[in-house]
Amino acid sequence: MVYAVRRLAILVGCLLGASVLTFALLHVLPGSPAEVMLGTQATPDAVASLNSKLGLDDSLLSQYLDWIHGLITGRLGDSYLSGLSISGLLAQALQVTIPLIILGTAVGLVIAVPLGVVGALRHNHAVGTGVGAVSQLGVAIPTFVSGILLIVVFSAKLHALPPGGFPGWQVDPWHALQSLLLPAISLGLVQGAIISRFLRAALLDVVKSDYYRTARAKGLPPFQALLRHGLRNASIPVSTVFGMELGSLIVGAIVIENVYTLPGVGTMLLQAVTNRDLVVVQDIVMFVAVLVLAINMLLDFSYRLLDPRLGGTR
Amino acid sequence: MLKRAGSSVTALAAALTVVAATSVACTNAGGAAGTAEPTLTIGSSVAPPSLDPTASAAASITEPLDYNIYQHLVQVNPKGDIVPVLATGYTLSPDRKTYTFTIRPNVKFSNGNPLTADVVVFNFKRVMAPNSTYPNKRAMGTLTAVTKLSESQVSVSLAQPDAEWLYQLAAYSNGVILDPTAVGQISTTPVGTGPYAFSSFKPNYSLTFTRNTHYWGAAPGPKSVVFRYFSAPSAAVSALRSGQIDVIDNLTNSNPIDANQFKNDPGFKVIAGLSTGKVQLSLNNANPQLGNVLVRRAISHALDKKAILQIGGNGYGEIIGSNTVPGDPWYDPALAGAYDYDPAEAKQLLTQAGYPHGFDMSLTLPAYGYAQTLGPLIASQLKAVGINATINTVSWPLWLSKVFSGHGFDATIVNQALAHDLNNYANPKYYWGYPDADQVGRMLAEAKAAPTQPEQISLYRQVLNKLTSDAVNVWLYDPAQITVARKNIVGLPGSGLAASFDLSNVSFGGPLSDDARAQGFSD
Repeated sequence: MVYAVRRLAILVGCLLGASVLTFALLHVLPGSPAEVMLGTQATPDAVASLNSKLGLDDSLLSQYLDWIHGLITGRLGDSYLSGLSISGLLAQALQVTIPLIILGTAVGLVIAVPLGVVGALRHNHAVGTGVGAVSQLGVAIPTFVSGILLIVVFSAKLHALPPGGFPGWQVDPWHALQSLLLPAISLGLVQGAIISRFLRAALLDVVKSDYYRTARAKGLPPFQALLRHGLRNASIPVSTVFGMELGSLIVGAIVIENVYTLPGVGTMLLQAVTNRDLVVVQDIVMFVAVLVLAINMLLDFSYRLLDPRLGGTR
Repeated sequence: MLKRAGSSVTALAAALTVVAATSVACTNAGGAAGTAEPTLTIGSSVAPPSLDPTASAAASITEPLDYNIYQHLVQVNPKGDIVPVLATGYTLSPDRKTYTFTIRPNVKFSNGNPLTADVVVFNFKRVMAPNSTYPNKRAMGTLTAVTKLSESQVSVSLAQPDAEWLYQLAAYSNGVILDPTAVGQISTTPVGTGPYAFSSFKPNYSLTFTRNTHYWGAAPGPKSVVFRYFSAPSAAVSALRSGQIDVIDNLTNSNPIDANQFKNDPGFKVIAGLSTGKVQLSLNNANPQLGNVLVRRAISHALDKKAILQIGGNGYGEIIGSNTVPGDPWYDPALAGAYDYDPAEAKQLLTQAGYPHGFDMSLTLPAYGYAQTLGPLIASQLKAVGINATINTVSWPLWLSKVFSGHGFDATIVNQALAHDLNNYANPKYYWGYPDADQVGRMLAEAKAAPTQPEQISLYRQVLNKLTSDAVNVWLYDPAQITVARKNIVGLPGSGLAASFDLSNVSFGGPLSDDARAQGFSD
């Protein structure tokens, strides 16, 4: 209980720090939203008048406090550029990004588990070394390269899957799922390779342990022994890695959304940065921070479930 | 043991194959996949930040909305001529200060409301209101009176005669005719009299129109139009190849080289027509070296414009020599050759100016494709005459802040895209800091007030000659609008002389009416 409260306090502290850092960095960057909106028709008077209309000429502290107050009460504000409500835009964008990340993680796990298991069980054989080499390659390929390669093969050459775009869940759920398939694979390839390496190392520890030898001695075939006795022990380091990789998964989703022109949170963020739509950038960064920190906190809590030995708070 | 792992991989592979197989039919059907009605899907690279052309200068708003959703009393056709649209005609008073428009009868907005003389008066008053945000409002000058003469006639009186006034009404958002009852939702739901009605907008992703059932003219071919926005140029090209889109509106905005793969492909056509843009090397006239006209003339002679057009525009465009493009009434082709490629002459002029060994300067490039491509080329051509140009690249907001507002630059490469923008040279505070701006302002005012068109043209040409002789900037080329479309799409605009991507004459398979062809729409 005390642990939970302490953990929550850490979460809130991190979020506060993230908000200050984000706000400060964005306001230090040169280039103002008013100048971008007025473009080459800008005159100093027009810029000043637009700044005043957007509230950009208030003191930095009062702008920061207004923003934080808005976040806490659930009012994310309006985009400077389009005037549309940011929570509406974010909700629409999440319809693409959340399924993409979930599908990408699923693909990643489907790749990681077999590779990790084979790599651990066959670590002394050619197969195991081969698997290690393949996973090394997967880690090395940048996400956008795998994305473009998949488009060239499956869209341009085979016409099997769409090269990008997203028709929307309401209009055509089946085509919407297909549009996310190649992006999810591009995302999952890299993540799967990374997680497979950690899984292999964790499983190797299991394979070399006494309790595994006992299980084998009692007559369990290797895979069953691994499953029943080893996987739970291996899952702690692997879920730690997953928590750490969540950040890079989200960054990967941003890159993939650009390659496949998906109208998700990544595209929204990139456009907002290009157009100096500061409040959109701030809100998205905080949203991602909340997501990553909350998930990591949940993972921390889950260790207690996975390993009862981690009961103490000392 | 490995069977379990293997079987899960096999299961996934099987699932993927099923999904892929069933999708082949869907993706191969092209832009009209799954729908019974013909939809025209257009790929574009810059998404509109909002939907209100009367509050923002962004060309990405005008391109889809103007002439398709919104119409003006008079509009600019792809030949660059002013044609009556919501007006059936207009007359100009003998003192050249009052325009009388006759309004087209039986015109309705897409919501059924009628176009009346009161509506027209409302729109003029909205532009001229003291706190109005129309980006080109200043070009309207001062209106002394806007009067409803009858149910079908409206007169507008200017304080001074202005030969450019009608063009500004036709080309810019000043002339957009809005439904007074719908202006409250103008940034989310545009309502106009054009051939298409607004359907939906997904920011940074797509903009959808459907046919306007109340349209006064001939219904266009497509039942709906979708503008899809691609941030990566390669994505738009793959989408065109795979059938996901039917047209790419303008490859100049992304990568003119991409036209090569479609040029000789029998399934596609490339429509290249000049735009109103001027890709130029802007020079900061306040800089000590660049403030000397001999140095600016030397730089003009140092650049090989033919190579620049080939490398920067893939040959699609025309070399220019002043702030004017073919399509302007006052265009003079002789100006393009004013400063021929002559490095020896350039070095001579630099010596005369006091820089026999050249000098150092910076070359600031915005993050646009043409600027990034031309930067190193121009830097090497300048090096050949002794000028060391150091390149630094900035993002667009930084360019606006540092170069445009802050005037902190020596030279920069940019496309000044607006049409008829000589007024920039009459503004002493415009970023290149032209010292003779006030004199040019007086010359332009005289030209706009001239009584006949030949006199106007001759006075405008005097301005152009002065700008070229002063070598204020180095004008490189007018880039073409490069449209790539499926072979069967007929009636797309044949040039970029209007800011709008005018789809009122588009159809799948044609034929194109003689009138549309004469106006500059492409077969």
